[in-house]
Amino acid sequence: MDLQNLAYALTQVAHNFGAAAVVAAPLFARWPLRADAAVRHRLAWLVLAGWVVQGMSGAGFGAISYAYYGAFPDIHGIAVAALLLKMACAAGGVVLAALMLRWGARWSDDAHHCAWGGLLLLGATALTAAAFLRWFS
Amino acid sequence: MHSLRGFVLALVSGLLLSGAVWAAEGSVTISAPQEGARLDAMAENRISYAVEPGPRGDHVHLYVDGAEVAVLRRLKGSYPLPTLAAGARDVCVKVVNKGHTPIGVERCVKVMVD
Repeated sequence: MDLQNLAYALTQVAHNFGAAAVVAAPLFARWPLRADAAVRHRLAWLVLAGWVVQGMSGAGFGAISYAYYGAFPDIHGIAVAALLLKMACAAGGVVLAALMLRWGARWSDDAHHCAWGGLLLLGATALTAAAFLRWFS
Repeated sequence: MHSLRGFVLALVSGLLLSGAVWAAEGSVTISAPQEGARLDAMAENRISYAVEPGPRGDHVHLYVDGAEVAVLRRLKGSYPLPTLAAGARDVCVKVVNKGHTPIGVERCVKVMVD
């Protein structure tokens, strides 16, 4: 088996599941019913883990490229903007999920609803940016 | 512990060696402009190229003076160069993998733009 393709593929697996987590968990927390506190707490961990996996696997793509070719992926223009947007979403997602885990118990239901909406927006934005990163590179 | 270290070393060595072997395959041919060609800055200049991507390559990036100017998904054809400023210019075609990383298969020509 080709080890380079295996490394890229396994990293892509992690990246895909991370993407699923950061979109699906906020969606489930808000819809079809608002989740209760215990469920929200677990979902917040899932989102935090999802964003961490997203960040690490994203860096992993670059690391694999550098290990094999001594160069990072060569992107420009819209692709660079999309990558920066994804990174900003990941940073925002980690911070918001961590805030929720640390202080969420004191938040009102409306504040939770709003925060989960923010996480959903971050996840959806990152997923959209990923498509532009993929096809404008 | 000892066997784990050996396994990790073997894995890393295998990754690096397989990369070095694969990277050497593939080719790029630039039929126009030719090395040393003089181009008219006001004309539409095109690059004609043919690529054999090899097992690692996927598509092609086009560069002028080291700056990426286009992503070419056809492996053979011609493409209009952007407006070139007068002077010596380096035009390069590099094969990249699916992750957009140059794999070391490339061809460059130096041209003079008047």
